[in-house]
Amino acid sequence: MEKKHNSMYRSAVTLIPWIIPVIFMTTWIIISETGFIPAYLLPHPMEIGKAGYTYIFDHPGDAPFAGRFLNDAGASLIRVGSGFAFAVIFGLPLGTISGRLSLVRKLMSTTINALRAVPGISWLPVAMIWFGIGIKTTVFLVALAAFFPIYLNAVAGARQVNPLLLQAGAMMGIKRLRGTFFILLPGAMPHIMTGLRLGLGISWAYLVLGELTGVPNGLGAVIMDARMLGRIDIIIVGIIIIAIMGRLSDYLLTTALKCCFKSAGRMS
Amino acid sequence: MKPELTVIPTVDPGTGKIILEINNLRKVFRLNGAFLAVLDGIDFRVKNGEMICILGRSGCGKSTLLKMLAGFLAPSSGEILLNGKPVTHPGTDRCVVFQEDTLFPWLTVQENIAFGLKGRNKNKKSIREEVDHFTSLVGLTEFKDYLPREISGGMKQRVALARVLILRPQILLMDEPFAALDAQTREEMQNLLLSLWEKFSHTIIFVTHDVNEAITLSDRILVMSKNPGRIREDINVDLSRPRKMEKQEFIFFSRKLYQHLCD
Repeated sequence: MEKKHNSMYRSAVTLIPWIIPVIFMTTWIIISETGFIPAYLLPHPMEIGKAGYTYIFDHPGDAPFAGRFLNDAGASLIRVGSGFAFAVIFGLPLGTISGRLSLVRKLMSTTINALRAVPGISWLPVAMIWFGIGIKTTVFLVALAAFFPIYLNAVAGARQVNPLLLQAGAMMGIKRLRGTFFILLPGAMPHIMTGLRLGLGISWAYLVLGELTGVPNGLGAVIMDARMLGRIDIIIVGIIIIAIMGRLSDYLLTTALKCCFKSAGRMS
Repeated sequence: MKPELTVIPTVDPGTGKIILEINNLRKVFRLNGAFLAVLDGIDFRVKNGEMICILGRSGCGKSTLLKMLAGFLAPSSGEILLNGKPVTHPGTDRCVVFQEDTLFPWLTVQENIAFGLKGRNKNKKSIREEVDHFTSLVGLTEFKDYLPREISGGMKQRVALARVLILRPQILLMDEPFAALDAQTREEMQNLLLSLWEKFSHTIIFVTHDVNEAITLSDRILVMSKNPGRIREDINVDLSRPRKMEKQEFIFFSRKLYQHLCD
């Protein structure tokens, strides 16, 4: 009896994340059905569904936007992935070192905090002059934007690691380099994970910014093309796809970290 | 029987080999521009297999002394010789059990105990056997897959003890390791430590502010005074083991030592 109760409780808990999306969809359907908001501002979910189907499954050339999905998503994934990778490669080590060495932290602080204050969009013109239109600009913008949360959280994580843990490691014969990998990074892992997740989230935002500039493919480019052609249904399809891919990539990142690092799985 | 407090000279003419030699140790900290002598003229020898308690009130520098023995802090002057060689860095020949919880929170009990063996070239099977052995020595076999946050303070200190014992240190440095535990758990831990000491006959230097703990455990008690921290007395505890707090001789000794401290 109790077991049944328990499993019911558990399945109820797994439903919780879907409550808001369901309410949202229901409201949307009601609004569209009643004509409260006209279709040229917000199309009916059915229309969005059809447009999405065309975009994803139909043969290219059958209709505008038909079958572009794979090509666009692939291009965007490569841009997000490489931009994010650059941000991790620079942000994690620099952040960890700054967290441990106050001299490095002081050296970086003014520069980092000044650059951090510059809105990403103001880098766009410069990036276009430097890198031209295309993948490089987007990757640059993504890497730049994702760097800051990754760096800052790595600093915070490395700073809050109890120095006694490092002392304990030294006493057990774990020298500096090994201590970094076996004590410092695991100890900082909850913060590092937050930084990586924030960084990846921001990567998607800046991806769209980078793709607004006339690149031929990518999820941001689709949204821009659709705007020019007045296809609000495709714009919304693009937004939904980015939301889903963002959510999925966050899930994959979290799962991968938890699989690879005991500290990620056991401390959060 | 009324045991007298015998104050012995710092160099004991006994037979045991001297393993640790502390010569005229001094530690000065700089605080707001002023120099503060925390320890001064610390001078004693430790024989192999001896259990020594450093007894003193908080702020007398006993933890600082232990940190220097561990190699975490460098002395301002004087020297620490382990088997005739100066101590400069932390090392596995002198292992520390800290007062605070310093287990790695992302590792299970067993992984914590195995941690120090990481760098050593040993095959997996012998490591696992050794870890199992030390896990059971501290009575945690049932809890080997628990995380530190899931076990009690006493169990955490058991893990802390096992993870250093497994490294076979020559000297065990213990910095008020049981101070944060409740009275019963503390007594359990003291008994555990004594039985492990009997088994491995490590040299143990145990810092405490608890008079009864010092008497229960040690062969010798170094009493420290404050400002600057000095060793005021070196007292031989010649009570028979096992020592029980209810025994008359224990009570006498404890009362005397306590009075002595207050003088």
